[in-house]
Amino acid sequence: MSSLKELQDLIHEKYGLEGEALDPDASMKDAGLDSLALAEFLFSVEDHFAISLPDDDPDIDTLRKLADLVDRVKAAKTAPTT
Amino acid sequence: MKRVAITGLGVVSPHGLEPDAVFAALLEGRSAVHPVFDELLPKPAVAATVAFDESRWFSKLQLAGVDRVSQFAVAAATLALDDARSVDVDPERVGVYVGCGMGGATSLETAYRGTRVPPLTIPAFMPNAPAAHVAMRHQVKGPVLTYSVACASSAVAIAEAAAAVARGDLDVAIAGGTEALVVPGVVVAWQAMQTLAAFAPGEGATAVKPFATDRSGFALGEGAAFLVIESEERARSRGARVHALLAGWGTTCDATHLTKPDAAGQARALRQALARSGLAPGDVRYCNAHGTATRVGDPVEREALAAVWGDAFADLRVSSTKALHGHLLGGSGALEALVTVLAVRDHRAPPNMHCATLDPACEMNLVALGDDRDDDLNAAISNSFAFGGTNTVLLFTGA
Repeated sequence: MSSLKELQDLIHEKYGLEGEALDPDASMKDAGLDSLALAEFLFSVEDHFAISLPDDDPDIDTLRKLADLVDRVKAAKTAPTT
Repeated sequence: MKRVAITGLGVVSPHGLEPDAVFAALLEGRSAVHPVFDELLPKPAVAATVAFDESRWFSKLQLAGVDRVSQFAVAAATLALDDARSVDVDPERVGVYVGCGMGGATSLETAYRGTRVPPLTIPAFMPNAPAAHVAMRHQVKGPVLTYSVACASSAVAIAEAAAAVARGDLDVAIAGGTEALVVPGVVVAWQAMQTLAAFAPGEGATAVKPFATDRSGFALGEGAAFLVIESEERARSRGARVHALLAGWGTTCDATHLTKPDAAGQARALRQALARSGLAPGDVRYCNAHGTATRVGDPVEREALAAVWGDAFADLRVSSTKALHGHLLGGSGALEALVTVLAVRDHRAPPNMHCATLDPACEMNLVALGDDRDDDLNAAISNSFAFGGTNTVLLFTGA
């Protein structure tokens, strides 16, 4: 199941974003998240999902792309290791 | 050199966010000092804290990585600019001068106590963050500077801003200070330094007793204060309301001891301020003292004032308002400058509270509660004497 809805709820709760800013394909930068706010948000996302996001992921700027990444990390975390 | 006018006042203080109300509280001798962190500290402590609603100044998104110390600065600077009304000026001809002793103490404490260190801890903590946030908020593109000179930080910032305006380097300076370090880790550090006031249960509000025989130190305070500074010529030409003139300032260093004050160094700063203003000691009717109520500090300040004022010392009325608003450290010089501006503007001197018995070593003309009115009060000084030995004196005169 996609993490998108949880991310939308999280960014709404944390930064008060709503309406079009929560569109999965809207730019978070355009919604007002500069590089520092995005770093802080990703930190909250890690806490919320109890995951560790890769440091080297290139410019994630939409909630949909972020949800895809979170889903991949979660899947990798729960996948059998043998 | 141009004459320097104060045309805007903004404050975020333990007595509120409205300068006249803050001043009225001080005139009434109302203490904002109260016990803090009852359960967390090895021994009791008092402090003066600010009831602050950050949502008035910041959206949730704007608060990302913005420590309380920067929130105070943005709020107080904005209030000062609002008070100055329509400061229409080239952004490169404006400067921001901020005194800040510690930086974002809350962010550092949170990082230390939490399980993970938030990624914005450094930008939130860095001591020049408040100045940068003020600059971004108001699009100031001239010098944006931070002075970290312990207890003299914001007095130095105001003096440096005044000098820049007097030279004609800038048209407008937004100058002041901010501090927000009332967190358990910082309070215990000051307790370890043996400088905080002791108090009996239920007597926290009167714990700070400047110049009294039973004084035992200060209470930490938090908050910010900013002044809008411009040349008197510019202020008059735009029809601005001038609260007071910053007629003199002096900054010296003891160069003797890191924490022990030195009367000779303080006296040199007092003389500098007088000389720049062209006033004689007898012209200055009120001194908002550094007055930290420490055993060592208060008599030294008395010695310096007496040495410079000479025969006029008996007519110099003195009070330390730290008894009521606490010691804002890097922010104290600015808050007390604002109080001194209002003292000159309104011809009223706030009282020196909680001094039941004056220490003979601090013999001076303290302002008594209810005896604040002085129609001849047209010039006053604010003293700020720092750990590190830096002494700054600001001298304000009526507009």
